[in-house]
Order: sequence, then structure tokens, then C-alpha cells
Amino acid sequence: MPELRRDPIIGRWVIISTERAKRPNQFGSNLVEKEEFGPGEKCPFCEGNESMTPPEIYAVRKDGSAPNTPGWEVRVVPSISPLLQIEGNLDRHGHGMYDIMNTRGAHEIVIESPAHFPEFQVSKEQFIKTANVVLDRIRDLEKDPVIKYVLVFKNYGKAAGGGHIRHSRTQIIGTPVNLKRVKEELAGAKMYFDYKDRCIFCDMIKQEIKAGKRVIAESEKFIAISPFASRFPFETWIFPKTHSCDFYKVDRNNIPDFLNILRVVFGKTRKVIGDFPYNFVLHTAPFRRDVAKRGYWETIEKDYHWHIEILPILTRVAGFEWGSGFYINPLPPEEACKSVREAEI
Amino acid sequence: MNELRRDPITGRWTIVFLNKITPPSGFAVEPHVKSKGNCPFCWGNEAMTPPEIIAHRSSGRENGPNWSVRVVPNKFPALRIEGELNKEGIGVFDTMNGIGAHEVIVDTPDHFKDMADLSFAETEEVVWAYLARSVDLRRDKRFKYILIFKNYGKSAGASLEHPHSQLIALPIVPKRVQEEIDGAAKYYDYKERCVFCDMIREELTDKDRIIYNDDKFVAFCPYVSRFAYEVWILPKKHMSDFIDMGRDDVPCFAKALRNSLAMMKGLLGDPSYNFIIHTSPINGHERVDYHWHVEIMPKLSKVAGFEWGSGFYIDPVPPEVAAKNLLSVKVEDK
Repeated sequence: MPELRRDPIIGRWVIISTERAKRPNQFGSNLVEKEEFGPGEKCPFCEGNESMTPPEIYAVRKDGSAPNTPGWEVRVVPSISPLLQIEGNLDRHGHGMYDIMNTRGAHEIVIESPAHFPEFQVSKEQFIKTANVVLDRIRDLEKDPVIKYVLVFKNYGKAAGGGHIRHSRTQIIGTPVNLKRVKEELAGAKMYFDYKDRCIFCDMIKQEIKAGKRVIAESEKFIAISPFASRFPFETWIFPKTHSCDFYKVDRNNIPDFLNILRVVFGKTRKVIGDFPYNFVLHTAPFRRDVAKRGYWETIEKDYHWHIEILPILTRVAGFEWGSGFYINPLPPEEACKSVREAEI
Repeated sequence: MNELRRDPITGRWTIVFLNKITPPSGFAVEPHVKSKGNCPFCWGNEAMTPPEIIAHRSSGRENGPNWSVRVVPNKFPALRIEGELNKEGIGVFDTMNGIGAHEVIVDTPDHFKDMADLSFAETEEVVWAYLARSVDLRRDKRFKYILIFKNYGKSAGASLEHPHSQLIALPIVPKRVQEEIDGAAKYYDYKERCVFCDMIREELTDKDRIIYNDDKFVAFCPYVSRFAYEVWILPKKHMSDFIDMGRDDVPCFAKALRNSLAMMKGLLGDPSYNFIIHTSPINGHERVDYHWHVEIMPKLSKVAGFEWGSGFYIDPVPPEVAAKNLLSVKVEDK
């Protein structure tokens, strides 16, 4: 019998399908196409090709090197095809019954290494530097009053909307509105808190540790689980074990531990399904500088818990999912978890 | 400068590209290589499916050939029809057993045609099958919602190449549907008008996004399209439930649907797509604040992390341009 499972935070239902069930090793491998460079094409993110990107916003540089020249360790540039930009005004206006505004915001690319490394294969030192740069960028974007929320993500592989260049990088988008999905999640967490006076994510972590069967890995400060109502096979969420709603206020001493758990999750998952396309999305609390509106987010520091969602794109989202917001997952998360946990790296 | 547009019903935002607009030929459309083989949806292979639920047949017997539309249970159902609904909690989590109905409507016996290639009369037969199944399934008290949709092409999630639609009866009202209903109800509370009726008036005034318009139905590329070449079809008369369609509405709806798909196919070269009939939950008859409609979403670009994480969409073709391009296609009037 198939089972319907409900995500306790936003109330999304998932059908864990038994009729269409697949074994963890039935998802094939090499789901990511080879990197293809056209003739004479060069990677705009490599050291020496600084002129191929828009002028840099920020860079960690060796002493004496000038902006937009070689000699950097981590470099932040505006996106070559930005979805939102920092120039201009928001200019909210109406068109009949519709609302419109300009694409004011920010869209930055954090290049994680001057050398051409694929995702999550940069050195530990480079990762720590990158994480610090991302945190600094979020703090800087907080100063722009137009930006309400910062979305940090990675797209890898064509199926996940990733580009054809495999130079490890992270995208940051500062949005001028609080996004619908974020609001849904915040509202769900607040509803639970109002009822129980506890953080739903903390409760979930405790329950998962007790049950054990959906815990992929644990480090000193973090835990990786296959969520109970996983939408996708091998979906993984990573939480800090200590309650905190803002990613950018993370204790920077915990970054190496954060890297450890990411490496375990990606290393082991790849062991099971090979290289796979994915979206990696940070879920964190919005900026809260608007004092007048604070009432709405009054308990956010207690009710919300930042985390990472890794969504492998192995199945196709079809009409049913679009129409219903219901997902069909052919792999029970307990089985995905078991196979990943037991993989040896 | 590009534009951010907000959907007045659900409040989701879309980034519409106004500068770098992708031309119709600029999308990588996957080829639909049809091999036929031993297809369970072709005439003569009726025994390969579970026994049929209904079929339109000019002659011959049940579960034999000579049908024009055939409805069968899905061989690999996402939900199962047998059993009692059972809800239970495990700590913070909730579960339910997978009760529901999952049926397949085989649109045509012709393996190599899609709905875009059917005649108006053939399309109408498919619509009648949707209606008949909807009416029948809503007698089952366990069900709250009936979702009718079509996946065409691999990247839209179709696993069989023979053109077919699907119907799923669900024990709960799905989240997206509820969101839409809540959004429409909120608008009604504020304005005392149906948001969809307002949208139809607005589109008919603006004119530049309309691709089909007759006495009873209108089709347009919505002002806040989430996808390039997204098309919505709505009955002009306020009607909350798909099954409230009258006998004279059905041919007009079939024509609007077939023509919209034919324009898409003519312009974009047989793209994969999903269409979904958005209707009110069972027993939502005569709701003043909701209006049934169809949403057609061609699968031309991938949804990436940004959309997942934000519920924000990116549309590389402004709907005004999409409508103009679609209208340039001549479709067969039969």
C-alpha cells in the first residue's frame, strides 16, 4: 500500500509509492553530462580570465594584487546574466489588477577557487575562506534596505538548471520581497511554536535521533537526515544541532565541522548513485530590520531553524506535482538513508 | 530593465525578461521519437491494461478494439482504490494510507498523434470522458478532490509515448489547489468579485495576450506567466466546477484546448508539456469566488534551485510576445 506522508512544517503531502518503488541502486549513475567547452572557450571563473566577468564586488586577495587581476583566493562578481540587479529603484506600481516592480535586488557569484575544481572538491582551506566570504556578503547585503531576503544556492548538472561550466561556485540572490516559499515555511514553524512553545525543527531533530532510521550522518555540530516526507529520492536536509534561525550568525569556528558533514553526505550519496544533478538551497530567516513590522516575526528567533536542503534531480516533476503540490517519491527515505549511511568512503 | 510581476491569486512573483527575449527557435525541444513497439494503449493490445472502466466504441465488445477513447485504471497507480482511509500520527509527523483512484484516459487510438493533431470532435470525446469519470468518482465519499492532467513528452514526466491523460482522485484537497482557493477567496472578500472574472475582463481589455476567444471560452498567456508560452483557458461565464459545463460549452472548450495546443506545436515544434484542469474541490458547487480553468505549461526550460528555494519563477518570454508568436501560427479548422 502506498503511504501518504505530510511535511510537518509546510503541510505538503508526499506519496511514498510502493507500486513504482525503486531500489536505491536503480537510479543509475553518471546522471551528469560531461563538461563541454566549445572550441577556444575558456572558463570565466578561472584565474587569469578576470576580464570575462563583470568587475568584481569583493575578493580575498594575496598582498599587492589589484582588483580584477590574478592573485585572488575567493572572488565575488555580479552574475553574467543577472536576474536582479542593484542599480535603479524598485518602483512598485500597478497595471490594472496586477502588481509590478523592477528587478531591483542583487545577484552575485562567489567563485570558490582560482583553480578549476568541481563542486565540493575544493580544499578545506578554500572552503573555509569561501564560507566566510558568503557570510560577509550576506552581512553586506543586509545594509541594502531594499533586500528583504538572501537566497544562497548551488545548481549542479543540466537537469538542475546548472551551467555547462563546472567551476565550483555559489550563487547569492538578494530579493526585494519575502518569497512565497520562505513565508510558507516561516508561517508553518510559527504555527507550531504558537501551539507548543517549541521549535518544530528541534523537535524533528530529537525525534529523528531517537528513531535513527533517517539519520544519514552526525558531526559534532550538525546532523544530516533523509526527511520523513522527502519529495525526491535521496533528498537530504542538514541542520545545526544548536537552535539558530540565521545562517549568517553561525559561529565561524563551526565551518570546518560543517564542511565535514557536507563531504560525508556528498561523498556517500555519490557512492550510491554516482555523480548526480542537484539543487542545494539554504533556508534561513529573512532580514528583520523593519521594526514596525516585527510583530509578525516576533517569535522567529525561537520558532525558526536554518538548514540546508539538498534536492537531487533524479525524477521528473510532472503535471500531477505541478497541479497539486503533491509529490510522488518512488524511494522511501528510510531506504535511501540506509544505503547512503552504509556506503563507505 | 526586466520586470517582476505578481500573480494576483497566489501572490507568487515571476521575473519576466523584457531585454533578452528567447526566440521561439531558441529552446531545446526534445524530439519525441515514437517507436510504437508493443503499446498497451493501441488497438488490439487491450489485454495489456487492467479491464477498462469506460470506452467510446462504435462497434465491438468491451476490452476489444474499435474504441475512440478508452479509460483504464493505471497499472502502476500512485494511489489505490481499495480500503478505508486511515490517518495516523508518528510524533511530529502525519501519515495516511494511500487511498485514491488513478485512471488513464487514452486520448486516441492513434499512437502517433497528440491532442494537438486531433479534430475538434475527437478532442470533445476526450473531454466527455473527463466529465463522465469526474461525475462518477465524486460519488465516493472518501474523495475530496479530482485532478485531471496530461503529461506529454519525457521531460514533462510522461512514461508512455501513446497520448494519454490522467485522473487522480485524492482523499485531501492538495496544497496548491488550496492556496489558489484561499487566494481567490481573499480577493473576493476584498472586492466582492471573482478574481478570475476580473482577470478575463482585464485580458479582454488589454487584448495583447489573448490567443483564443469565442462566445464561451477565452485562452491567453497570463500576465504573470511562470513559464515561457504558458496558456490558460477559462470559461467566460463564472463557473466554479469543471463538471458544471453545459452541453454547449463542451465543444467550445474542446476547440479552445485543441487550438491552444496546436498553436504551441506549430510554433515550438512539438514541445513537451503538462496541462492541468484546476477545478473546485468536490462539493464546491457554485462557489462565487472560484472559477475553473486549464493551465498549459510547455516544458521549455528547467526549474532550477532558485525556483525551488523561493517559489519565484523566471519567464524568458514576456506573455505579450508569446501570444503574438502563437497567433502567427495557422491552425487547421476542423
